[in-house]
Amino acid sequence: MSDSPRHPFLHGLSKHRGAPPTVVVIFGASGDLTARKLIPAVYNLSIDGLLPADFYLVGYGRKPIPDEEFRTLAAGAIKEFSRRELDADAWGRVAANTSYVAGGYDERPAFDRLAAHLAAIEKKLGRDVQRLFYISTPPSVFGPILQNLGASGLAAKHLGRPHHAKVIIEKPFGKDLTSARELNTTIRSVFAEHQVYRIDHYLGKETVQDLLVQRFANAIFEPLWNRNFIDSVQITVAEEVGVGTRGGYYEESGCLRDMIQNHTMQLLALTAMEPPGSLDAEAIRDEKVKVLKAIQPLTIGPAGDVARAQYAGGMVVGKPVPGYLEEDGIAVQSGTETYAAMRLSINNWRWQGVPFYLRSGKRMARRVSEIAINFRRPPGTLFAGETARFDLAGNTLSFQIQPDEGLSLILNAKVPGLETRTQPVKMSFRYATTFGSNTAEAYERLVLDAMVGDGTLFIRGDEAEASWKLCTPVLDYWRSVGRTGMDSYAAGSWGPPSADALLSKQQHIWRQP
Amino acid sequence: MSAIFESLPGIEVPVGAISGHLAKLWTTDRADGEAPADPEGARATQLNVVMHFGLNTTPEDAAAQFRVISAFSKRYPSRIVVLCPLRADVAATELRAKVFGECHIGKSKSDKRCVEFVMLSYSRSARPFLESAVSVCLSTDLPLYYWAHSFSTSGGLADYRFLLGRSKRVLIDSARSPADALGFPWPNASALRDLVYSRLLPVRQGIGQFLSVYPPALLVEGLRAVTIQHAAALVAESRVVSNWLSRRLAACGADPARVNFVAATRPAELRAGLVVSFDYTTSGRFFRWTGDFAEGQALFEADFGSGRTTLAAATSLLNPENALSEAMFF
Repeated sequence: MSDSPRHPFLHGLSKHRGAPPTVVVIFGASGDLTARKLIPAVYNLSIDGLLPADFYLVGYGRKPIPDEEFRTLAAGAIKEFSRRELDADAWGRVAANTSYVAGGYDERPAFDRLAAHLAAIEKKLGRDVQRLFYISTPPSVFGPILQNLGASGLAAKHLGRPHHAKVIIEKPFGKDLTSARELNTTIRSVFAEHQVYRIDHYLGKETVQDLLVQRFANAIFEPLWNRNFIDSVQITVAEEVGVGTRGGYYEESGCLRDMIQNHTMQLLALTAMEPPGSLDAEAIRDEKVKVLKAIQPLTIGPAGDVARAQYAGGMVVGKPVPGYLEEDGIAVQSGTETYAAMRLSINNWRWQGVPFYLRSGKRMARRVSEIAINFRRPPGTLFAGETARFDLAGNTLSFQIQPDEGLSLILNAKVPGLETRTQPVKMSFRYATTFGSNTAEAYERLVLDAMVGDGTLFIRGDEAEASWKLCTPVLDYWRSVGRTGMDSYAAGSWGPPSADALLSKQQHIWRQP
Repeated sequence: MSAIFESLPGIEVPVGAISGHLAKLWTTDRADGEAPADPEGARATQLNVVMHFGLNTTPEDAAAQFRVISAFSKRYPSRIVVLCPLRADVAATELRAKVFGECHIGKSKSDKRCVEFVMLSYSRSARPFLESAVSVCLSTDLPLYYWAHSFSTSGGLADYRFLLGRSKRVLIDSARSPADALGFPWPNASALRDLVYSRLLPVRQGIGQFLSVYPPALLVEGLRAVTIQHAAALVAESRVVSNWLSRRLAACGADPARVNFVAATRPAELRAGLVVSFDYTTSGRFFRWTGDFAEGQALFEADFGSGRTTLAAATSLLNPENALSEAMFF
């Protein structure tokens, strides 16, 4: 939310059409994320007429790149990665205000040069310009960048006014609870919390936002959304790809840090949180933190609440693929998990006794992210006994986050005919069929949200810490036992036997979405 | 014969058989004699739109507006009922129907959005039965939007109380409507939206974003005149911008009695555009926005006491299908 009442001249315009004059500075401007997501996001916002007339883009990186070359690289990124084709006129308007500053991330004089560059833009315009810093670098330089933004005065620019400086920080937000707290301390020494936008691009996905709408705008779901009617919840974030060329990074990260701690836990928080008092960013984030804090600490160790595994050789989409340990850049005795699954219990009035199963992995059978709500079965007196005639499924409401975004509900229906026979049927709603698939990408929404000062879809510092608090003991335990307990699964499968065991205690099984 | 009706695509069907023919649009006859497949999964209607052509509509204009609603439906799959009055009226009570469907294929296999059209031609004496005929063409339980295009009298349109009263939004284009249309006591006046206002969204956004950087009090201090110059074809746009500025400046604290609003036709050099100027009692203070829609260029020039600012930007009027969605949903 903006921290001041709207100006009368913005009345009648949606909040996304009211961004102030802004310069976006991307740290890590020659990086992969910048090319794949950030430059295309800026371009598409421009096409949609959502950027202010006085919008500037500044790339910052160690590598010296002339302005013109940076603009050419950016145009190339749009051609390759944008959801829309490159329109020379539209890009020309952004390119005219695009420049590049070279400098080290720990090089204070370079930040002074950056500050002077931004001041020159402001002077040329004759108006205040909001600074939005996007830190899209390896986490090792988050600290120096933040400190230099503070020391150069950039972080405090226009503080106290709606167009105060803001910073977007990419994941990973720490590698454990200690480092997350240290990073928060560094951030807070330079920026106030309302200036900080910790990004998890999952929150920018339409279907993730739709989860709140489905839950709280439909009277039929909310009364059922509790332990009385829900049997279990499964959250899956599965990837088809292996580690590819990211072996070095992945060895230091692993599935728990890379996917579970952030994306999967965010999905859980949105699924399980209490209704917020309003759609205000803080109201929603307060509820997410509350539910994360209500998760019971995990039982770790043999027969505990967590499973981990590495993919072995197998077949994916009909092609043989190597196992994790045979991939480039992976240690022979690597202890890094490519799959993790958890059984969580939430200790509150709504969810007591309802298991939440979370899993994520690489080289799984298909790329799919979904939240599946499994409802309790009705008393089985009417349609019991004759299993051939009465084929009954539990009611499952599944939110498919990607691909084929939408939701479906499994119901039991009578098969037409003289005899009463039942059969599960699936009711589906697909975003692409109803709304089309060429909708804004997550990064477009998130960059614009930060520009207009709306932090709803970003992670607050205490939220990140609450998630790390749950995951860090698991990471510590795994580190202490080395490869002991590391399971394996065939590439192209749905996961290891140890993950199945997490569910079997309560006669549950993993879905194969 | 209705020239409007004939200018639109579709297969003529009996009025009593519209529903059956709509369903048949999406079935395919199978050679093996099995039941035909209905690709229900590929269709997901979001809303109903009644597009009502007035007697001032020419066949060419009707075809152009049909293309607009068709483009709109690529983004918002709809059931669209098009009402076509007989321009050369007949004495008989005549109601004729055509059905038409089309699908827009997107980037992926699942990205296929379909739209269904029902065209109804009616004679003057069939007017009392028109709303009932429309009601059975709509998709049940979905919201209804009503677009009245180029109608000749507000009083005549007001006869359609069911459509006007039940619609979430009633859309008119004040550039092509009777002079009293915006102020007429419609049954559901709060649902009325002017497409001219929607078309001007980029202008309102551009000027609004630019001015929102300055404190409201600064914008109205010493303000004595607001002048809107317009190309000859943009009289309605000029009026709507003037009204909008009047409301926004009043919200900033301006006394409407002390600010003179002037509208004037701009000479030939501004082929398709508007110029908005604020004049102040204090020497040197001013604001001017010049928008040339043909070139897609705008120029902001301002000095509110802290130095001159000049800024070039893109501008345009919203294209018709986007203006429709803006008017319907925002």
